[in-house]
Amino acid sequence: MTELLVELLPLLMFALVCACLMLGYNVAFTLAGTALTCAGLGIVSGHFDASLLRAFPDRMFGTMNNYTLIAVPLFVLMGVMMERSHLAEQLLNNMARLCGRLPAGMAISVVVVGMLLAACTGIVGATVVTMGLMSLPVMLKRGYSPELATGTICATGTLGQIIPPSIALVLLGDILSSAYQQAQLKMGIFNPQPVSVGDLFIGALVPGLLLVGLYIVYLLFTSLRRPDLAPSGQPEDADEVSAFTLLGSLLPPVILIVLVLGSIISGAATPTEAAGVGALGATLLAWQQGQLSRAKLADIARSTTVITTMVFTILIGASLFSLVFRGFGGEEMITHFFHNLPGGMVSATLIVMLVIFLLGFILDFIEITFVVVPIVGPVLLAMGLDPVWLGIMIALNLQTSFLTPPFGFALFYLRGVAPDEVATAAIYRGVVPFIVLQLALMLALAIWPQLVTWLPGQMH
Amino acid sequence: MPSQPQGSVYTAVEFLDSFSYFTGRLIAWLTLAMMLITCLIVVLRYGFSLGSIALQESLGYLHAAVFLLGMAFTLQQDGHVRVDIFYRRYSQQQKAWVNALGGIIFLLPFCLFIVFASWEFVVSSWAVHEGSPNAGGIPAVFLLKSLIPLAAALLALQGISGVLRSLLLLTQEPGLTQEPGLTQEAGVSHEQDATRAAGLSEAAHHD
Repeated sequence: MTELLVELLPLLMFALVCACLMLGYNVAFTLAGTALTCAGLGIVSGHFDASLLRAFPDRMFGTMNNYTLIAVPLFVLMGVMMERSHLAEQLLNNMARLCGRLPAGMAISVVVVGMLLAACTGIVGATVVTMGLMSLPVMLKRGYSPELATGTICATGTLGQIIPPSIALVLLGDILSSAYQQAQLKMGIFNPQPVSVGDLFIGALVPGLLLVGLYIVYLLFTSLRRPDLAPSGQPEDADEVSAFTLLGSLLPPVILIVLVLGSIISGAATPTEAAGVGALGATLLAWQQGQLSRAKLADIARSTTVITTMVFTILIGASLFSLVFRGFGGEEMITHFFHNLPGGMVSATLIVMLVIFLLGFILDFIEITFVVVPIVGPVLLAMGLDPVWLGIMIALNLQTSFLTPPFGFALFYLRGVAPDEVATAAIYRGVVPFIVLQLALMLALAIWPQLVTWLPGQMH
Repeated sequence: MPSQPQGSVYTAVEFLDSFSYFTGRLIAWLTLAMMLITCLIVVLRYGFSLGSIALQESLGYLHAAVFLLGMAFTLQQDGHVRVDIFYRRYSQQQKAWVNALGGIIFLLPFCLFIVFASWEFVVSSWAVHEGSPNAGGIPAVFLLKSLIPLAAALLALQGISGVLRSLLLLTQEPGLTQEPGLTQEAGVSHEQDATRAAGLSEAAHHD
């Protein structure tokens, strides 16, 4: 009996943190505090090795030294700058105008602009926060239902997982390539085929664009059926606007975004460099439009600090939680279960996807990539799965997980920047249709893996 | 009129809040510095084929300073996100209970833990004046590591302020409402930010 209880300790810990989060104290500190409480109880009862906790400062220091993550505050700064100086509002409005009387034109503009941003950052927190700041007030002002507006923003924000060049895909590609080598050696192939980050990027193109297409079709459909939820263009959209004025306000921000995106995709600049230059570009645009006073600049800097810190504090809290979770044998529990599973590849893949989905509630994709994929990757690949397909499925799966109430990360981040009059329940209801779309796409990829594997095959 | 001990607790809360706010206002400028340094790096590299390890590392230092030292400020602004399905509907009293207990059970032990766990880590770094692992890097890794316990200490101070404020409210201190840092749900909104800031600095000056 006690044996069983000890085995189930990680599950109990998971349940406890879920319960504690519902109380409403800050997520980051609840994660960390619950983990510490559990560790403390474990040390007293002899089920937890206290020396494991010594790794924590190293983990924090690792986050501090992660060059890629420096892109977060810079992208947040760019987003806040564009929002506070009304540049993004103009961009979105002009996009909406370009879409003209198109049903749900505004929401579709959000998806398109958000896709550009998601491609830039590849970081769920930053994209959701940026899009939330930029477009939620505008959409609400235009009469969208809070459900549809928040659902569109959350879903668009999580596109950063899958639209290349996503950081999630870079990390996944790195881990999968070594997992694939292991798997092939295990199968007796001594001249293993490599799989690269580039393969993953190319493999993600078709599914990523399909997903964006699905979002847009859904928005069009909703607007046609229920114009009260997603209004078409407003009367003033029909006002005569000279093409020149329209282009004049539309071009500078679009050029900025395209430059940032293009320099990352072409490999000319790192995401951090592109983000820094993009932020400066946004600053110059705001200044040129006469939107920038010293007080406003200070205000923008403060908001950037608060948002950045919010994202990283969650990362730190989740990191402590995962450390303790592993200390209680959570990792072994999952591996053990996985090895004793009947049903072969299909059920193994299904279970892995389910586990990753659940873990996505509390862990960042970085943690999941580094913790889960090395354990399950070689086994699954040895069963004959295509590594690119597996990578894309994991990325899509995490994207769905980050979107799923009540623990999806995207929802926390959007809640953080949404106005008070938007109910949390509205956000939760809003993402449901998008989750269905994601699941449909994953099902399609499972039935027709060629959707992923065809394009990389053509490139070789 | 508030009784004497409660009055002085109130003063302490106001002082800690304005201290966190002050640190935040300073740190915030670092984000703009990060932007400029990144652009400088880009210009040097692509314009003049010059690369500076120290400049590159300074970006990491600034970044770490922003998100570590900004934690207390963000707590004061209530910018740390909550799962607020139930929290939203709580009364002021209930919110104060959550914040008091959350602070005592979750936040303050976490701060203590960071200080204790990182102590050895930081002290050994100071002992050798640990420098950069890269040639030409900034020779101050020991200072960078020191940010970890420093951040925890700042966070603890603001955490104590939050707990005290909640306790004051629970003991029905007249004239004290749930003010910055407690009830506002995720106070990232700028107008709130600005008004709060104004109110807060006024309060600080009047005292």
